[in-house]
Order: sequence, then C-alpha cells, then structure tokens
Amino acid sequence: MGISKSEAASALTDIESTAGRSRLLKGYHVAGPILMVWGVIWALGYSGMGLLPSEQWGLIWLVLDVAGVVATILLSRGGKGAAKAGQGWKIVAGVLAILAFYAATLTLFQPISIDATIAYPGVVTGLVYAGIGIAFAPRYLWIGGAVFAASLVGYFFFQPWLTFWMAAVGGGGLFVAGLWLRRA
Amino acid sequence: MAELDELIHQPLRLKIMAALHAERDADPLEFSRLKAVTQATDGNLGSHLTTLEKAGYVEIAKDFVGKKPRTRVALTPTGRKAFRRHVDYLRAVVEGVDGD
Repeated sequence: MGISKSEAASALTDIESTAGRSRLLKGYHVAGPILMVWGVIWALGYSGMGLLPSEQWGLIWLVLDVAGVVATILLSRGGKGAAKAGQGWKIVAGVLAILAFYAATLTLFQPISIDATIAYPGVVTGLVYAGIGIAFAPRYLWIGGAVFAASLVGYFFFQPWLTFWMAAVGGGGLFVAGLWLRRA
Repeated sequence: MAELDELIHQPLRLKIMAALHAERDADPLEFSRLKAVTQATDGNLGSHLTTLEKAGYVEIAKDFVGKKPRTRVALTPTGRKAFRRHVDYLRAVVEGVDGD
C-alpha cells in the first residue's frame, strides 16, 4: 500500500512540527532553573541596593552577576542534549552584549535620577526576553512583557521603595516564571 | 528502497516517534512531557505506546522518584532505524521517486 504525495508531505510536516515542539518544551525545561537563579540574584542584588550604601552596589552586582553567569553555564550543561558542548561561550557572549548595551546606553543618555538607573535593567531585560519570545519561544514574550511593565510601574508608582519593588516583583517574578518554564 | 511503515504512519504514533527521535541523544522522555508534546490524552498515549513497545520500537521504563511514580520512554535502535526508513519513504514520495 502506498500513500499520496500530499499525504506524505503532511506527515513530514507533522514530524517537523512535533520535533520542534519537543525541542521547545525541552528548552523551557532547561531554562526554568536558570531563570529561577536569576530571580534569586535580582532579589539579593536589589535588596542589597536597598539596604547598603551606594558605594557597595557595584561590588554586589559584580559578585552576583559572575555567580549568575557561572550558574547559567552549569545549568545549561546539565540539560543533556540541550546545550551542546561549546555553547557556553554563546551564553557568556550574550550576557556580555546585554551588559555592554546597558552600560553604553546609561553613558549616552545619563539618567536624571538614580531611580531611572535602578529601573533600567528591568526594561532592558524585559526587551531581551520579549525579543526571544517573538523570535523563538512564546512564553518568553509574556515573561519579558511582565518584567518590562513591572519595572515601569515600580518607577512611576513606587519610587520610594523602588529597590525593594524590583527585588520582590522583578526577582520574584523571574523566579515564578522559572517555575512556569520548568513545568512545561 | 524505503517503504511505508503502517505501524508508525498512524498520526499519534508518528508524533510519538518524531518526539522520541528528536530527543534520541538525550535522556528518555517522561510520559508527561511526551503527552505535552503530542497533545494526546493519557489513555490514547498509553495504548499507542503499548503498540510501539510490542513492535520493539520503544522501551518503557517505570520507576519512582521519591514516592512519585515515573514512566519514561525511549526509542530502541530498531525503532530508530524504522523511523528513519519511514521518513526516507515519505521524502521519496514527496520527491516523486515513488508512488502518488
């Protein structure tokens, strides 16, 4: 028994879409714990900003960001088959590119207040996740949109408590988003 | 010459085999993930997995994580070869080498 050309084409399309869906869900599953780690890092970093003098902020974020990048590389390697050997440099390059963009725009536009500097990483992170969501994995669009909106809401409505707002809503939001991805 | 594998060609079994083949170099797929990927019901997925297992195309392992039961599924080497043969057949049909 044979099948028609259109039936074969349809079966091949089904195979491709199923494989794509499998890779997408696997990607969410691997990314979930990474997002949870960054949620904790945000919570610690912004809480530190709220509690410690501003001279120590740079050191806090340097230590936390390095820990975050190391954890990201280790966790992405833990997803057997998800992050092939040699992919680690892409993660590091991606994080460095975002940090460079962040530093460059801060230098160019010179925020008028410290609050703008505090909220800005949330806007940049939201944009990056939204871009990933539009291009590859739809759940990131929701996560990016939420982080983006929460950062602006904090800036406009909760400025006196902005660092704690970013710690709780930004960090907590990323952590919950990580759980959501993990369960995919 | 590649040929149609009627066992695999059934729509849900085709999805199961495609999902398992996509993860062939990774750990076996958990039942819940396979269910999410194929968007099948528990009963339907279970019965088609049994069919594939009887054919020797997949192996099903059941164990416990703590007190929670876990079912994991992987392609066997026979299943991998059969799936590749089936995909080769489909490609041949599409390219007009065979049938229509």
